[in-house]
Amino acid sequence: MKLSISRYNPEHDESPYLQDYEIELVASDHMLLDVLLRLKQQDDTLSFRRSCREGVCGSDAMNINGRNGLACITRTSTLREPVVIRPLPGFPIIRDLFVDMTQFFKQYESITPYLVNDESPPEKERLQSPAERDRLNGAYECILCACCSSQCPSYWWNPDKFVGPAGLIQAYRFIFDSRDRATEQRLDDLGGDPYRLFRCRTIMNCAEVCPKGLEPVRAIEAIRLKIAQLPVHQGGLETHPPKSPK
Amino acid sequence: MRLRFTGLAAWWVQRASAVFMLLFIVFALVAFWLYPRHSYLEWRSWASSPCVVMAILAFFAALLLHMWVGLRDVLLDYAKPAGLRRLLLGGVAGSLFGMAVWVVLILARLQT
Amino acid sequence: MARSTRPVFLNLTQIRMPVGALTSIGHRVTGVLLAASVPVGVFLLDRSLQDEQGFADVAGLLAHRAVKVAMVIVVWALAHHLLAGVRHLLSDFDVGSPLRLARRSAWFVNLGGVAVALFAAAALS
Repeated sequence: MKLSISRYNPEHDESPYLQDYEIELVASDHMLLDVLLRLKQQDDTLSFRRSCREGVCGSDAMNINGRNGLACITRTSTLREPVVIRPLPGFPIIRDLFVDMTQFFKQYESITPYLVNDESPPEKERLQSPAERDRLNGAYECILCACCSSQCPSYWWNPDKFVGPAGLIQAYRFIFDSRDRATEQRLDDLGGDPYRLFRCRTIMNCAEVCPKGLEPVRAIEAIRLKIAQLPVHQGGLETHPPKSPK
Repeated sequence: MRLRFTGLAAWWVQRASAVFMLLFIVFALVAFWLYPRHSYLEWRSWASSPCVVMAILAFFAALLLHMWVGLRDVLLDYAKPAGLRRLLLGGVAGSLFGMAVWVVLILARLQT
Repeated sequence: MARSTRPVFLNLTQIRMPVGALTSIGHRVTGVLLAASVPVGVFLLDRSLQDEQGFADVAGLLAHRAVKVAMVIVVWALAHHLLAGVRHLLSDFDVGSPLRLARRSAWFVNLGGVAVALFAAAALS
């Protein structure tokens, strides 16, 4: 398999460049991550994040043949060669495929990503009916891999002011949680300025690349309707079978 | 509560003006296809009738508001330095206001 | 060692743009194009309503080949912007929002705009 991988070492490189690799595939190279890990035997300076190797931690998000995805669940059999691997678009590159996720996580923190409920705690749990719990479907599954936000043009232009699809789908998860009592503040926070939510142009790149098949754009639509005090559909957000980079 | 509506007001204006213009354009296309105005006198007399004047004014009000929200979105996205952004937004607002005045003058002149 | 400015990968020619993204960028580009043609439109309105000569001038102008080409471009811009806008309106109210439907409507918008432009080109020639 032929690959072209973005390399960058701040100690001695002016700017990132593509380095070509070639490797013989073996039977166990089902996923791109398998290939990358074996490539490290060839060149141990190649750096990238990875952990669970099964698509649940979100560490190995990268731009593969122009499209963001998780290397550990991207099948090698369908990849066009040479496989061009670059770091997530729009994020500062620390080294090779490592990107600085600070801004991304700051946006996530800014939406108060925890349940706010100052009522006296009940004996056991705060109860929630199955229907109420279903409203979180299609949002709670987000693994914060940043594939969506780094493929969103609105986020590219204003990563410090626009919360981004990942932050907003998490905001949805709390706004529509029946146990949360901070709904008004959350809506005021997101609707009160023209950037935090309203930069979304429903371009839908987020839904296209989400490796979990989530649709942040629908979450944003739902929040917008709620801010506008229009009826929002009941039930969770739709999901779709995720499409891997090819 | 008022805080929430800043971003929302623009969104509503954009949607409402779009729907209004869509209806107007469909109506205008059909009207001109069925009754094309070939001479200056036909054109002028149609344009100066009170209903049409009202409709044209309403259309331009919707158009200029819609343009304002759209161009403002473009500037908010791409014009990063706050000073430059305010300047450009002011420029756009000025031009749109100028066009509004121009249209009013054109229609007023028809009444003479 | 933290660098003050880190490089960023943002080469748009190397990032895949799905069909919806093309519809969306087209929506913005056609919007700006239409905005630029509004003053021209108002000028033509002005001229054509001024007097007989003005009307004749405008009619003559609109018969020019180059002007007709410009008109076809403006018609394409209007068609694309309008169709993409309707698509946005519908998705705002949850119609056609799921990804598979959204992709299909994006194709419809992109091709529809071109179809209208071709129709206009035929009507004007």
